[in-house]
Amino acid sequence: MTEAPVALLAELTYRCPLRCAYCSNPTHWRDYDDELDTAGWTRVLREAGELGVLHVHFSGGEPLLRDDLETLVRAARDAGLYTNLITSAWHLTHERLAALADAGLDHVQVSLQDSDAGRADRIAGTTVHAHKLEAARWVKPLGMALSINAVLHRQNLPFVGEIIALSESLGAQRLELANTQWHGSALVHRDALMPDRETLESARAFALAERARLRGKMDVIWVIPDWYEDSPKPCMDGWGRRSLTVIPDGTVLPCPGAHGLPGMVRDSVRSRPLGDIWRGGEDFQRYRGTDWMSPTCASCDRRELDFGGCRCQAFALTGDAARTDPACAKSPDHPLITALRRERPAAAAEPDVDLYRIDIRRGRRAS
Amino acid sequence: MSDDARRPVLARRARLRWDAARSRHVVVVPEGVLALTEEGAEITALLDGQRSLRAVIDAVAGAHPEAPRELVEADVREFVQRLVERGYVTLEAP
Repeated sequence: MTEAPVALLAELTYRCPLRCAYCSNPTHWRDYDDELDTAGWTRVLREAGELGVLHVHFSGGEPLLRDDLETLVRAARDAGLYTNLITSAWHLTHERLAALADAGLDHVQVSLQDSDAGRADRIAGTTVHAHKLEAARWVKPLGMALSINAVLHRQNLPFVGEIIALSESLGAQRLELANTQWHGSALVHRDALMPDRETLESARAFALAERARLRGKMDVIWVIPDWYEDSPKPCMDGWGRRSLTVIPDGTVLPCPGAHGLPGMVRDSVRSRPLGDIWRGGEDFQRYRGTDWMSPTCASCDRRELDFGGCRCQAFALTGDAARTDPACAKSPDHPLITALRRERPAAAAEPDVDLYRIDIRRGRRAS
Repeated sequence: MSDDARRPVLARRARLRWDAARSRHVVVVPEGVLALTEEGAEITALLDGQRSLRAVIDAVAGAHPEAPRELVEADVREFVQRLVERGYVTLEAP
């Protein structure tokens, strides 16, 4: 029997006022503007609770753009779920944050683009950094827990120490140092964002030392840059094993990057109950367990530790989602990754490029 | 022991609940879940910031007259200490 999922990623909208070039949302995010309404999301949350989900992560896009967020937080709490808001804090007021706390919000994760307003706002494509710091300081006095998430790439990795110090000064209980994963806009901008090993290793060493210093005060999580690891990330802790994603239009996916995989049937909560999709949906069965694995993975003693890595990355690089993730050194496709690694920083003369979130409309709708 | 008068309290970011799908009590924390034994759930429910650690030990011992007191005391101390180390319980001043 299929185990119950523990976590639901609820991507309420792909709309976002920030334009970070490493955005993992699909590049044709405008095709998903037929968003589930309040009643639709309320039903999803209730069904998730009944299915055994314990955590809901409200994400996007920017979930604050949904006027019904307070209602959805309350619905999640009614369903027994632990509620996490993943936000840029853009235009978040103290009044609204207090209303969200009243509705039962447990945890807020605020993104930081960098430690310095000039650099951070350049990445965000809008003036938002100073306000983020103010909003982050409201979280704990309102009785909620605070995490900071910083996506790391070539332009901000040299400042990881400042990012850690800033997060500590904000009173965060948790800091995710998330090395860029190459999906969505990030994949398109890979060459401009790809760090070099020398900078990466010095950032890692610093972050791990800080993690030890901050133990018991702030959890410092180093999300591995799998392109430099020789072993793949255990993506989603296994396909259809621990968590599920509902995207803005109600499509249910095993992972938030699975939009682009070929042959997905894309079951929707509009036409099928969530539990039914989880247990029997074709998309969830496709790479669940180990039966689908290539001989490289099927014969590997790590097959139930890393689950063959990331299906989306395998597809993006090899055109076949069932192949071993090329991030793994045992993959015959591993040279695809090693060829693109950089060992040393770019020459100082090379300017950083201004890049923004990709925005493509495939024209599914007439407008 | 100096901690005995202190009042252990489950952090606001940690929530004790019954996990019906898996028939167990859990403490849900950001990005994770701690699975509890029945005894663990019983102790956690007493970490309300009102009772002192001594009072928690007394309550658990009182509920289990069959168990040797030293054993209960050691179990409660170890359990609370583990949650303190992970930041899910704080010890409030008496």
